Amino acid sequence: MTGPEQAAAGGAKPARVIEIAGLNKWFGDFHALKDIDLTVRKGERIVICGPSGSGKSTLIRCVNHLERHEEGDIIVNGVTLRGDKGSVNAVRGEVGMVFQQFNLFPHLTVLENCALAPMFARKMPRREAEALAMTRLERVRIPEQARKYPLQLSGGQQQRVAIARALCLRPSIMLFDEPTSALDPEMIKEVLDVMVELAEEGMTMLCVTHEMGFARQVADRVVFMDQGEIVEQAAPEIFFSNPRYDRTRAFLSQIL
Amino acid sequence: MAETHAETALIFQPKPARPAPAAASGPVAWMRRNLFSDVPNALMTLLGGYILFVVVGAVLDWAVFGAVWSAESRRECLDAVGRAGACWPGVAEWLPNMIYGLYPKELVWRVNLGFLTLLLWIAPLFMPRVVSKVNIGVSAVLLFPFLASYWFHGGEMGLLWRVFVAAGIWGFVWVWATALSEQFAGRPIGQTLLAALGAEDAADADQRRILRIAAALLYVAALALTLAWRLEEVGTRLWGGLFLTLVISGIGITFSLPAGILLALGRRSDMPVISMLSTAFIELFRSVPLITILFMFNTMMPLFMPEGTDVNQLLRAIVAVCFFAAAYMAEVIRGGLQAIPRGQYEAASSLGLGYWRSTQLIVMPQALRIMIPAIVGNFIGLFKDTTLVSIIGLFDLMSMARAVGEDTKWLGLFIEPFFVVAMIYFVFCFAMSSYSIGLEKKLAQGRDRG
Repeated sequence: MTGPEQAAAGGAKPARVIEIAGLNKWFGDFHALKDIDLTVRKGERIVICGPSGSGKSTLIRCVNHLERHEEGDIIVNGVTLRGDKGSVNAVRGEVGMVFQQFNLFPHLTVLENCALAPMFARKMPRREAEALAMTRLERVRIPEQARKYPLQLSGGQQQRVAIARALCLRPSIMLFDEPTSALDPEMIKEVLDVMVELAEEGMTMLCVTHEMGFARQVADRVVFMDQGEIVEQAAPEIFFSNPRYDRTRAFLSQIL
Repeated sequence: MAETHAETALIFQPKPARPAPAAASGPVAWMRRNLFSDVPNALMTLLGGYILFVVVGAVLDWAVFGAVWSAESRRECLDAVGRAGACWPGVAEWLPNMIYGLYPKELVWRVNLGFLTLLLWIAPLFMPRVVSKVNIGVSAVLLFPFLASYWFHGGEMGLLWRVFVAAGIWGFVWVWATALSEQFAGRPIGQTLLAALGAEDAADADQRRILRIAAALLYVAALALTLAWRLEEVGTRLWGGLFLTLVISGIGITFSLPAGILLALGRRSDMPVISMLSTAFIELFRSVPLITILFMFNTMMPLFMPEGTDVNQLLRAIVAVCFFAAAYMAEVIRGGLQAIPRGQYEAASSLGLGYWRSTQLIVMPQALRIMIPAIVGNFIGLFKDTTLVSIIGLFDLMSMARAVGEDTKWLGLFIEPFFVVAMIYFVFCFAMSSYSIGLEKKLAQGRDRG
């Protein structure tokens, strides 16, 4: 596909949609992200993996400013994240996010969960927002659950609703923060299927996950992190068969 | 591995679900299971039954069977039954005062009409097809008090007061127009109005303009009405009894919820000045007894006010109660806010909802729902705390009850009026409590894993 290596070799590169340079982040005295550089081009699918506490979730949470970074630049679709309202809102309008714990709003129906942001962040009339929400629910194949409340659904269904909710803002980039880690094994596939479909439609995706099958199937690049640093990144076929660092090998031997 | 068994794979057939074993039903089975399941349980049942019988019997003997129902003075009661029976005529004679205080008898209809207005105002909340219930409820809190203030107080209206009273009239008309339109035509009042004017197909901007003009015309009409509306003044010194109790606690309750929400949000704010001020306010009013606050407001507020301004004594008491209630409510709301997981805030932010939007749409609805029992508990506490205003010379329900026994005709008649006051308080508090339980059940429908 359009991985950076192929693109570099073959002339016209897709636009850079995320540029991260010299990113540093601390939690109190804890240095959570160290000098991160990462560039993502339009349509790229990136899987970020690494042991827990390696900073992978923090990294993608910096991209839509759920975490404030102390040093470095994050440029999303040409907008530099500075922590002011304007740039943060501009970026959040372009970036959808799916969480490990779904984070659906339990007091609203599935349909209301999806229509909420278009109505109140985009000032769309209710009827139009609900129609949009229905198309997204059809895309994740649960339109029949629209009138139910989130807690009446299974974990897999809830996560698919969460994906539909994020898609309702018509984002050009999707962030996934361990989307299948809180699911029963039987439900992982239904969520991954939806993610694979999204990837095939050309969505730019940054995905923190331990699903190495998913990484092999759809990722253009796998990023391996440890202790707040990017250890190495490579196309999946290279990453899985021939990792350069011992730390990567140790990690892969644990999870494969 | 799987392939080797593929051709002989067994087909898994789940067992059909059976109904739960039939429980013995009927009153006898219920009693056996719950009241007489074993010897200690049976003994406790008998003991409890005996206590209930003795207490209820004694109360009934005193209050009903042995009571005096007609007499001219307490002396007559004592001559007839001594202290073994209640002496109700004294309470009956004082009942109007216990309800209305010293409000002039011939003007009491205004108080009744004021409360009737409130009932009419909130009646649409119980109509099944009405959808603007939130707006109606908010209007009852924000606009009804102005209308009520003129019903209750009357007198000369200043310009500012007139503007607000007109807003009250406007609100009442709007509530019923909305309720009737939604209940019977199934559409908002705006659409009904546009249809009546034949402007359904006009451009959106024109429609909005028409509705705005209609609202403005209604307000002008309300203002004109206030010019014609003239009621005799009844100073707040004459207010008393249950009426006064309801006024103070009603204002305290309706003020405490929004003020408590703002204080709780303020206390959790990232902005240090706002957070500090909120915290200081909450801690100050929470660590001082209500009775002290009442005293302070009663005696000290006039000192701080510019010379010549005379703040009404009732107003001082109401302000004190409101501040006290708001501080307590703020801590209840803060408890609810803390129960909302961080993920909810993060999801709202990631969807581009700002602070106020996510507070209004995501956080508050959940926090308030969790805290309904505590919030209503606070309301009930506040309702009962208003008895303390008798200390600063306001004649609330409690002080009117005490006045019965100080009447020369009914000297020493205390137990009976207090019994009645207890009943009145019980009815109001139990109603609030039952309503909150009903509300919890209603809100829980369909929202839990089911």
